[in-house]
Amino acid sequence: MEKPSRNPFKNLTWEKIWSVASKYSYLISFIGLLAIATIINPRYSSYANLSTLLLQASIIGIIALGMALVIIAGMIDLSVGSIVALVGGLGVVVLNATGNAWITLLFCMIFGALLGTINGLLVAFGKIAPFIATLATMSAYRSIIVQIGQGGPFNINSDIEPWFRMIAAGNVLGVPNLALIFIALMIVVVVVMTRTKFGRYVYAVGSNQQAARLAGINVNMIKIICFIITGLLAGISAFLLMSRLTSITAANAGNQFELDAIAGVAIGGIAMTGGRGAIPGSFFGSLMVQMIEGILIAARIPPFLDGLVKGGIIIFTVLLQRRKDEN
Amino acid sequence: MILEMKNISKYFGPVKAVDGVNFTVGDAEIHGLLGENGAGKSTLMNILGGALQPSEGQIFIDGQLIEEMTIHKASQLGIKFIHQEMNLVNDLMVYENLFLGQEIANRFGMLDRKTMIARSKEVLDRIKVDIKPQEIVTKLEPSRKQLVEIARELLFEAKLIIMDEPTSALTNKEIDILFDIMRGLKAHGLSIIFISHKMPELFEICEKYTVLRDGKFIDSGYFKDIDEQKATKLLVGRSIVENKQVKEYVNGPVVMQVEGLTCNGHFEGLTFELHKGEVLAITGLHGDGSGELSDALFGARHVDAGTVTMHGKQLNLGNIRKVMLAGVGMVPRNRKERSIIKDMSILNNLSIAYFAVKHHKFFINKKEEVERFRHSQKVTNIRVGNMEDYITSLSGGNQQKVIVSRWLEINSDIYILDNPTQGIDVSAKFEIYKLIGELAQGGKSLILFTPEFQEIYKIADRCLVMYEGQINAELDRAHLTEESVMYYGTGANKEGINGKTITKPV
Repeated sequence: MEKPSRNPFKNLTWEKIWSVASKYSYLISFIGLLAIATIINPRYSSYANLSTLLLQASIIGIIALGMALVIIAGMIDLSVGSIVALVGGLGVVVLNATGNAWITLLFCMIFGALLGTINGLLVAFGKIAPFIATLATMSAYRSIIVQIGQGGPFNINSDIEPWFRMIAAGNVLGVPNLALIFIALMIVVVVVMTRTKFGRYVYAVGSNQQAARLAGINVNMIKIICFIITGLLAGISAFLLMSRLTSITAANAGNQFELDAIAGVAIGGIAMTGGRGAIPGSFFGSLMVQMIEGILIAARIPPFLDGLVKGGIIIFTVLLQRRKDEN
Repeated sequence: MILEMKNISKYFGPVKAVDGVNFTVGDAEIHGLLGENGAGKSTLMNILGGALQPSEGQIFIDGQLIEEMTIHKASQLGIKFIHQEMNLVNDLMVYENLFLGQEIANRFGMLDRKTMIARSKEVLDRIKVDIKPQEIVTKLEPSRKQLVEIARELLFEAKLIIMDEPTSALTNKEIDILFDIMRGLKAHGLSIIFISHKMPELFEICEKYTVLRDGKFIDSGYFKDIDEQKATKLLVGRSIVENKQVKEYVNGPVVMQVEGLTCNGHFEGLTFELHKGEVLAITGLHGDGSGELSDALFGARHVDAGTVTMHGKQLNLGNIRKVMLAGVGMVPRNRKERSIIKDMSILNNLSIAYFAVKHHKFFINKKEEVERFRHSQKVTNIRVGNMEDYITSLSGGNQQKVIVSRWLEINSDIYILDNPTQGIDVSAKFEIYKLIGELAQGGKSLILFTPEFQEIYKIADRCLVMYEGQINAELDRAHLTEESVMYYGTGANKEGINGKTITKPV
């Protein structure tokens, strides 16, 4: 008979190392990227710099949290950037009228959720492919706010501006508010996705919709809720953007946010086909998108090539995911 | 063509799908290949057709060793595979399908429609089928599509034809036509490998047989030397009589009453009841509507008319969850498409239905979930290494046990089991049969949808045979024979078939 081995690493096969590594692939690539950036610029991994990174990544990162949900459920939401513009533009109007940040935040959340609900209803009951439905609402939401603003910007009144901009510019014990809000929202979404029935259902719907339905899950409801949460998070993001920029330009605000959010989700190792992936992946993925942007600037690559790099990243990570699936 | 397959083995990971099988087919011979589902017939034929590479073994054709068989090489050698499932493009015409991928072009590289149509007509005439080459395939009945499939394989020179259950979608008249075609081909010197589960057919058309069981070669010989009992015994490895379910016939109170249930285009006006502690089998041939019925009973398909009553209350058939809450569970057919959530762990796959109807809290309690898993594991004897592994890492049998456990967790009064032993190995099958018996004894009622007679015979108290969307017969255990199920399943009592007198089996 074989003697029990004393070697604690006996069960540590390459297969297991590989499975753990692919589970936390986002952490490995994050550390790798951080190492590269630090080699280029030794001061890169300083506290000040990393907290700035979090701050910069937060507004899109919050949207990416919602995008992750939608993608895990096997769908996509292209309208997030337009939701930011529409909610943000009208948010400025509400803020100027009430002078109350809480009421404005509540408005942004509810209105964002409402716009998300429209997406959800189109997909769940209209049976329109999420790509098409949100492509249409992307165009529609943007058009509405451009018409309302007549192309011009929505500016926060000068008496409100000084204190309102401190929401995004302020910090608690040296940690930027935006970074704190981003981390807090990530924790909430992580808990929802790993500790609740709803989270379990989202994965099930994204992996095998038919099996999920036959197990008694209300697939339509899950899809709608995913879009509502994404709209809500885009609404919060719009509120923070208002504070950061103090003015929302209808035609430009939130432009290409969907691209950055999807890129973050993809780099974060979340399967573009649905069913697989962890929320912290989209958190670190969003940081990585921001880091890559920084590296491009440092490397003096023209900003016009930004889209090329991000598009390339999405394609590259998806190809990598497929390679992994086939093996 | 003389085919010899020697000592063929095929491993899928640790699973031996085919294990050292010898298989020989002579010149101008119709050879019946027998075996239960999962016995290794399809794997063996896929190796012959070049779709799979054997792990071990050699293939000789007319005495010559064929190395590295590929689909292309097999086709060149004249080996044609007529598959069970339809491989036709519905929106193309018959002749376009016949020549798909091997179109004839004129010297300008344009399609030579005339020649193709003429050759199609020739081959369809040869097999005496009155289908026009320019008919759109989508308009053909399933059985006639099957004939087009056969015609396609005859278009180019064939020496050996593999027919994988070609009769499952055919009517009796068409089966007769098919047999005539087969005899004609044999007269031309072709060899045919005929795979079927239907004993009378095998005895009628084949000279020789080879039996596989659990991937192993069991026996080979002439049909004239054996009878159906012997063949069945070879097939299942034991005489069926020994396996008869020892379970007393139950006649408990009615727990479910189905009245006039109709789903347009699939089934119509179905009325039957289910008793407490009963195992009711519902069977029929392809296209009988039983698959749609199982979905409808679970609220997974739109119903046009009729009611299902349980405990005196009418079921809301528009909502799966409400049906589940009323006390109905379902193990669906096609495990891979309809049950397995491939990106989730074994543990999470098992608990998903429980969360949908029995769990009333917002948060998941992992400890409780694991406890429930441990309990289920004992009941259904699931063999797993790590419950956090993906469910796809398990064998088919163990996957199915996880799915069965998924439904046992919600403790329903009635279980609909739709082909629950599809594609799982024999030992797992028996474990599931045993479990069904135990559930019935424990007062649960079960509706078993299955195409396999052996299964019905082993576990059912009563059997409904469906034909073209209607219940054609209700058989109790005293009248439950394979012949009677076939008789009613083929609608033989309804159609005067081709001038043939059909005697009703007693």
